[in-house]
Amino acid sequence: MNENVPASFADVKLEASCRVPLLALFGGAAVWLVVSSALALIASLNFHMPEKFAHCAWLTYGRVFPAANDALLYGFCVPAGIGVAIWILSQLGRAPLRDPLVPVFAANLWHLGVLVGLIEILSGNTTGFDWLEFQRGGSVLLFFAYLLLAAWAMMVFTARRERALQPPHWFLIAALFWFPWVYATANLFLVAWPVRGIAQSVIALWFANNFIFVWLSLIGLGTAFYFFPRLIGRPLQAVHYALFAFWSLILFGTFCGIPHTAPVPAWMPTLSSVGGGMFVVLLLTVTIVEVRTVWGFIKSKWDNGPFCFIGSGADCFVISLLMMIALACPAFDRTAGFTWFTQAQLQLQIYGFFAMTMFGAIYYLLPRAVDLKFPFPKLVAAHYWMSLIGIVLLVLPLAIGGIEQGLKLDNAKIAFPEIMNLSLMYLRVSTVGICFILIGNLLFALNVFVMTCVWKMALLKKILPAINAPLETSEVKS
Amino acid sequence: MSDEPKTISTNEQTSPAERKTAPIWIFALALILLFGGGVYFDQYSGWFNPQVYSPYENTDQLEAWQPKSGEAAVMAHGKQLYESVCGTCHNADGSGKPGQAPPLAGSEWVNAKSPNDVISIPLDGLSGEIHVKGETWNASMAAMGAGLSDSDLAAVISYVRTSWGNKGKPVMPDDVKAIRAKVAGKPPINGEQGLKALEK
Amino acid sequence: MKNGFSIFIAAVLLLGISWCAFVLAPVIQLGDEKQTVMINSTDIYPVQRTGAATLGLQVYRANGCAACHTEQIQQNGMACDLIVTSLGKNSSALQKVLAGSLSDSFLTTNDLPKTIRHGISMEIASSMSDKITAAGGKAEVHVYATGADIERGWGLRRSVAEDFLWDSPVQLGANRIGPDLADVGARLGDLNWQLQHLYAPQMFVKGSVMPPFRYLFVKQKKGAVPSADALQIPPGWPKDLQPPGGYEIVPTEDAKNLAAYLLSLRAEVPLHDAPYTPAVAAPTEKSK
Repeated sequence: MNENVPASFADVKLEASCRVPLLALFGGAAVWLVVSSALALIASLNFHMPEKFAHCAWLTYGRVFPAANDALLYGFCVPAGIGVAIWILSQLGRAPLRDPLVPVFAANLWHLGVLVGLIEILSGNTTGFDWLEFQRGGSVLLFFAYLLLAAWAMMVFTARRERALQPPHWFLIAALFWFPWVYATANLFLVAWPVRGIAQSVIALWFANNFIFVWLSLIGLGTAFYFFPRLIGRPLQAVHYALFAFWSLILFGTFCGIPHTAPVPAWMPTLSSVGGGMFVVLLLTVTIVEVRTVWGFIKSKWDNGPFCFIGSGADCFVISLLMMIALACPAFDRTAGFTWFTQAQLQLQIYGFFAMTMFGAIYYLLPRAVDLKFPFPKLVAAHYWMSLIGIVLLVLPLAIGGIEQGLKLDNAKIAFPEIMNLSLMYLRVSTVGICFILIGNLLFALNVFVMTCVWKMALLKKILPAINAPLETSEVKS
Repeated sequence: MSDEPKTISTNEQTSPAERKTAPIWIFALALILLFGGGVYFDQYSGWFNPQVYSPYENTDQLEAWQPKSGEAAVMAHGKQLYESVCGTCHNADGSGKPGQAPPLAGSEWVNAKSPNDVISIPLDGLSGEIHVKGETWNASMAAMGAGLSDSDLAAVISYVRTSWGNKGKPVMPDDVKAIRAKVAGKPPINGEQGLKALEK
Repeated sequence: MKNGFSIFIAAVLLLGISWCAFVLAPVIQLGDEKQTVMINSTDIYPVQRTGAATLGLQVYRANGCAACHTEQIQQNGMACDLIVTSLGKNSSALQKVLAGSLSDSFLTTNDLPKTIRHGISMEIASSMSDKITAAGGKAEVHVYATGADIERGWGLRRSVAEDFLWDSPVQLGANRIGPDLADVGARLGDLNWQLQHLYAPQMFVKGSVMPPFRYLFVKQKKGAVPSADALQIPPGWPKDLQPPGGYEIVPTEDAKNLAAYLLSLRAEVPLHDAPYTPAVAAPTEKSK
């Protein structure tokens, strides 16, 4: 890349300012990505050979499954999202990242928090709330690491030299503020000073929706709305629709998440459903923006790389949104609410949409930030196809199996064990999907890891002579 | 990837030719959806009432479906309430306590055809002379039943009027409701005279 | 920048609305919920779980049982039964009223109490009950909850906020990989069964995907007298589930607490917000 692109000096400086923090964020994220799919595989194997894990508390399904989810969400999604957001803000505003060592420290603090949290989960010390399983030890580290990272991202934003606000700005800045609000609320009301009774569950459900749906969508859509124009080479089309999508996401998306099955007064799920119904607007606006921006360029820009990743991510977002709209319908929610269908939607949202968008962004920006090519460019395409096949094999059986499971649960004449055995068939296919995803993730981690090593070796080569050289020379020079 | 355009040109994300506001149809669609959502919320939410859970849609429906239990259940309920609220003075078997509370078993006031007296006494309290089974009592009773709901008090009085050999007819929550409105805000009933005055 | 600042304020306000709706409002409305009284009773509900069951909730949490089990009974609707309890004196008038709803012949006193209509609405039930009363008979209207969960015998009514008043953390669960547990204490109320099932679920449900929780049990040398709490393993179970000679399988404190928690799950009493007619002792003719 560096030899054939005559980048301006200012560009190189911009990219270089982000280099070390991004390597720290993405390097750790890649590790957690692999850990997460390995844990997901163990969790899935629990169904096929329950006896094998009978003696091992650390590998029982109830611990490994949330650990896999949290490793993906906290280990990969958040650091990757913040890293990409910092880079985009720096590019959009033509402002470098200052004092990069602080975000490097924060990134390592974050990854330490994830490690502590995962060990807590596997050892049985969880909070017991979905998507918020990390106990105090992990969550405090995460929170302060996040504040540092977000503060540095905001510094890049406020120091921007191009003052005009672009659509990605809206999405990314809102996301930067929303996460600490949501995360602090959940931890204070559920872990530090738990509220009483069912109010806990309402807050936990609100948190999960606002993190997994709203936060990931804000970062993911902001990233997609930045990269589509950049990859295609023409401005974002239908910008007014993008802003409409933004407002409907933060006004209505934040209300979703209380299912009709929950034992809470009727007004809560009813209000959630009203929010979910408004997603039709979100769906239409996002689709219009993406189609009008990308249409006509799909063939010419097809690269088995960043463009494909981000494009598939956007497609997954639309499907995941459709599934959410379906779940907002009370009748469908009561049928599919307690089934694999909701898991399918979550996996599609987190891995299909968000992680794919992040892969695309990282494959695009990391070579520029580090000023090195990926060591195995062919593995990028392999990763793309592995992930895509993996997502289809993971999500499709779970969605179909979930609907069938729900319909059979509604019929009291069908004995419960029969329903359980039926889901098993779908779970086998999804286990294969997880294997594909694991391989794809390994390829990604390999590229990032080897690239980091190459960069470190180059750095060492530069430093070594300086270490060995007599000190006087430098003094003489100055 | 080598032929991609350079960043500075593509950094202008919006083209100036684009309109700045979304077209009217998307606003209209949003408003229609919001209106539909409002109608749906009005129908099913119970308007933030913490007692209303689906499949109940509002408090009226919830009240309508409260079990109007059979006589046996009402009596069991009335017995339990009687023993905790009234039984300390009137005794669990309705025999009363000398000098403190007149008997209820066989009392002409309890067995009267109209239940009005026996409803108004616990609702409003009683002080002054009253003749029960040939004896004159001059004790006072606080408005012990005022804190019970209409159906609870109806259950207690029905229990009293049909137990220990009493032959009164059960009373309905509506009877209690009517008397409660009548005595609301009045001072405690002044003995037999007060009861007669109340009848008018 | 001014423009940007106003956008920021607007966004914060919009996000704040959802915070008020789903954090603040539930805490105010449900956070200081009190115990309530059961229908047709002065008993308080819910009663705090016993010490062992409270500890058992933490075992339930630590092992992620909620990943596969929900504690939420669903209810689709409600219906009534109409039960005739007394024929009164004027039985010919009554039989006329009943004739419309009975396919077979006359009701006699020996048949009582007799359910003459099942699954009817409250309106119909009340009007029929009034007619029977007018004809000198007596009838009761029994309300019950309907839905697949209730037909499966998983509970008697939907789950409501009161059921979770003493729990922290509340373990709702989101996926029914295993059956619902909201009322499991009433359904499978045998402590020994619960322990055996935790030890070897596949012995009870063939092909069950539940992981056996053997790590909640210890194998120890039998003393002169076998431990009182040793797990009773049926002799018919396969050999690898049996302790070797001279040994016994003993549940740990965690296993006992977990089983106590499961037995304490009895969300089945009728409440004002989830009403049904509780089963009372069969109504008898009043003896005068």
